[in-house]
Amino acid sequence: MDVYVVGAGMTKFGKHPDRDAVDLAVEAVNEAIRDAGVDRRRIQAAYCGHVYGGMVLGQKVLARTGLAGIPLANVENACSSGATAIREGYLAIRAGEYDVVLAFGVEHLTTRFRGALTPGEEDLEGALGLTMPAVYAMRAVRHMTEFGTTREELAYVSVKNKRNASLNPYAQFQNPVTVEDVLNSRPIADPLRLLDCCPVSDGAAAVVLASERVVGELGRSRAVRLAAASLRTGTVEVGLPSMAFEPLTRATAQDAYERAGVGPEDVDFAEVHDCFSIAEVLRVEGLGLYPVGEYPKRAARGEADIGGRLPINPSGGLLGKGHPLGATGVAQVVELVRQLRGEAGPRQIEGARVGLAHCRGGKAAGVEGAACTVLIATR
Amino acid sequence: MSEVERVSESYVPFRPGLLRFEGGRGVLVGGRCRSCGAVYFPAPEVCARCQGQDLEGVDLSGRGTVYTYTVVRQSTPEFRTPYVLVYVDLPEGVRVLGQLVGCEPEAVRVGMPVEVVFEEVARDPQGRPVVGWRFHPATEA
Repeated sequence: MDVYVVGAGMTKFGKHPDRDAVDLAVEAVNEAIRDAGVDRRRIQAAYCGHVYGGMVLGQKVLARTGLAGIPLANVENACSSGATAIREGYLAIRAGEYDVVLAFGVEHLTTRFRGALTPGEEDLEGALGLTMPAVYAMRAVRHMTEFGTTREELAYVSVKNKRNASLNPYAQFQNPVTVEDVLNSRPIADPLRLLDCCPVSDGAAAVVLASERVVGELGRSRAVRLAAASLRTGTVEVGLPSMAFEPLTRATAQDAYERAGVGPEDVDFAEVHDCFSIAEVLRVEGLGLYPVGEYPKRAARGEADIGGRLPINPSGGLLGKGHPLGATGVAQVVELVRQLRGEAGPRQIEGARVGLAHCRGGKAAGVEGAACTVLIATR
Repeated sequence: MSEVERVSESYVPFRPGLLRFEGGRGVLVGGRCRSCGAVYFPAPEVCARCQGQDLEGVDLSGRGTVYTYTVVRQSTPEFRTPYVLVYVDLPEGVRVLGQLVGCEPEAVRVGMPVEVVFEEVARDPQGRPVVGWRFHPATEA
């Protein structure tokens, strides 16, 4: 049973001091339902991804959108929460249980955090002083050591994504920056600086999923097929593996490629989890979209720009669009939908037919990563 | 009364089970799978490699080399910045995270030999010193 995304919507990402998580989610959900053109009474189940939103956040959103009463599960998988919510809906439709499902993600992070996120103080490494920027700083040191990646090449990732964000009205950052701006920004965890790090963001995103059975009736012309939605957890590390490569991303991607019947060579563009400049490098190389060790140099030559050989994060990514944890994975699919429909305006990738979205969330002592998702959408 | 019990009256280990004190010296304690020999720090209840359920405690070497590092300039309020974090590869084949002390942050390098030291890292709610591990540049080759 094929699954389609028939509606997509999101709020502008950024700082929303006058609104709360429920309010943001209501806006995104209503936009997705409007975009789908579906009578909301046909929605049979919902999944809500969030991390810090508190108990039964999803139900509060249903209560304000005329959807209360249907089954809903709140889903937490750190930065992969939203993508995991979509996957739950995808699986339920594939199982034949439902024909129309709502999946949304939301976070009001500016009221929860200032500065660096940590794995949590109960985590062994968090208690030793590990912050998320420190994790990626240490991986950057390894990529630089093993492959000769330069500081300037890493900065270009952020320059590219903030430039893409300036073409996206839903993005938190609306102004491009230069390599020099990145290198002169405040140091956070050497060698990473402020502009190498994604911002703290509020926002929400939502999609409506439909089965093959009803997609014709809802309008096939704007529907995008969700060809794979894969999820993996990080394995416990034995021995001394390289921190400049991500087996978790590789394993999740291989599962998704097999299920979708496509390979990395078929991907026209990708939205990847660029929580830090170095993170985009590790994702793209783990996904097999660029050869291991070569992405920073190729990106700096423009290969990953909109209009380049294989554009990465045309939406602006987490670095440019923002990173409201639970909303992030859903917003990536919103971008996939807009690109594949040809509705991405000035950041449109011409002729895009296969898009990939990658999220990776969480850190726990001893494991390579907590949760990783790869979703593939095709036209 | 055992040494561990005697010491634990005045010192609180940062994480029980991961370090022990013997004759006034501290040791990091990992776990080794009795079936396949995989070594962990910290030890899981079931071996991730062979699913063996019989793991024994193993004392880890006090010396290793820096695999990677960072100078943390911004952190949570409990930590005074800047501080240096290192992942250290030990001869047993495990990688241990810790703070590096005893040298200028700018002097840290990949491959640098270091040794583990045990220091007070905090106070518990009763005011007792909490002892944890840190790394220090190795005093001799």
